[in-house]
Amino acid sequence: MQPFRAGGRNTREDDMKADNTDKLIDRAIAGLPYRRPSAGFRARVMAEIAAQAPAEAGFGWVMKAFGLIEAAWAGALVLLSAGFVYRVLSENADLFAQPGGTVQFLKLMAARGAMLTAKLYAGLSLVSDLAYAVLNLLPPLYEIAAAALVAAGIIKAVSGGRLAAQRI
Amino acid sequence: MAETEIELVGRCLGGDNSAFAGIVEAYQDRIYSFALRLLKNESRAEDAAQETFVKAFRSLSSYNTAQAFAPWLFRIAHNACMDALRAGGRTVSMDTEDFPDLPDSGPGVAESVSDSIDSERIEALLASLPPIYSEALLLQYREDMGPAEIARATGVPEGTVKARLFRGREMIKAKLAAGNATVQGRRP
Repeated sequence: MQPFRAGGRNTREDDMKADNTDKLIDRAIAGLPYRRPSAGFRARVMAEIAAQAPAEAGFGWVMKAFGLIEAAWAGALVLLSAGFVYRVLSENADLFAQPGGTVQFLKLMAARGAMLTAKLYAGLSLVSDLAYAVLNLLPPLYEIAAAALVAAGIIKAVSGGRLAAQRI
Repeated sequence: MAETEIELVGRCLGGDNSAFAGIVEAYQDRIYSFALRLLKNESRAEDAAQETFVKAFRSLSSYNTAQAFAPWLFRIAHNACMDALRAGGRTVSMDTEDFPDLPDSGPGVAESVSDSIDSERIEALLASLPPIYSEALLLQYREDMGPAEIARATGVPEGTVKARLFRGREMIKAKLAAGNATVQGRRP
């Protein structure tokens, strides 16, 4: 009798036998009995679900509160911006009536923007100079300790307090 | 089950958490048996099954009711079992197919398999296969899923599922021929 070969040439008899074996394997797997988990499995699953529900609900409330705060901020920002735009437009209303007024208005806004940027830059420079002066007064040991604390805080926050091996 | 899965899922999504008990009742044996045959450990299988149901409950909103429920649930079970296997130190090849060289089945296959294979023997044979092959065979023949559904459950292309089914069967045939159906680990 020719041996059955998975990838080779088989006789019709071999093919029939292989097909029969396939069917036997399929039937045997299909007939495998289901096993039952230990008593109280369903209750444990439902208890686990119930235990997680308050935490998820709490998280939901936190997210809702966060959303509300965000919406309130956005609303306040829109109102302030609208007020600012209205004030600027009303102050320059006569400018628009003149020929080429829109271009003049845009130039005016660009000038104001440049002035504001310069003021912000000056403010930041002042803060930076002050911080530099304060740091110069401190001994280097405090700088190193502060840097180490900040680095440890960042590592802790990023790793979630777990070891690298646990994360994998 | 008196109510259909879709009805139970609908009740769960409507806020009736107790309806999920019906889903657990309907699927607990299937999911546990599936996990047990892959993990070969009762305690770990029960943990994986529990994790499957808890994750399924939390992800119910993502379930597309137009598709069958079982492949969706078995996808979660598959992930839980693969995580458990990895946690147990097993290497589970997911992206590359690790096809072992198969010996020719030899002349003994047809003779050694007379007219049936008893469940104890097929359990042992399945347990001796790498999990990706036993999983495909179990989902196809025990859970009555097609290659497309198995592909969805295991997250691999349909062609890979078909290859796994073929290879799995060939390995079983080779083991039947060799008569070396050894049980690796604890038999379920």
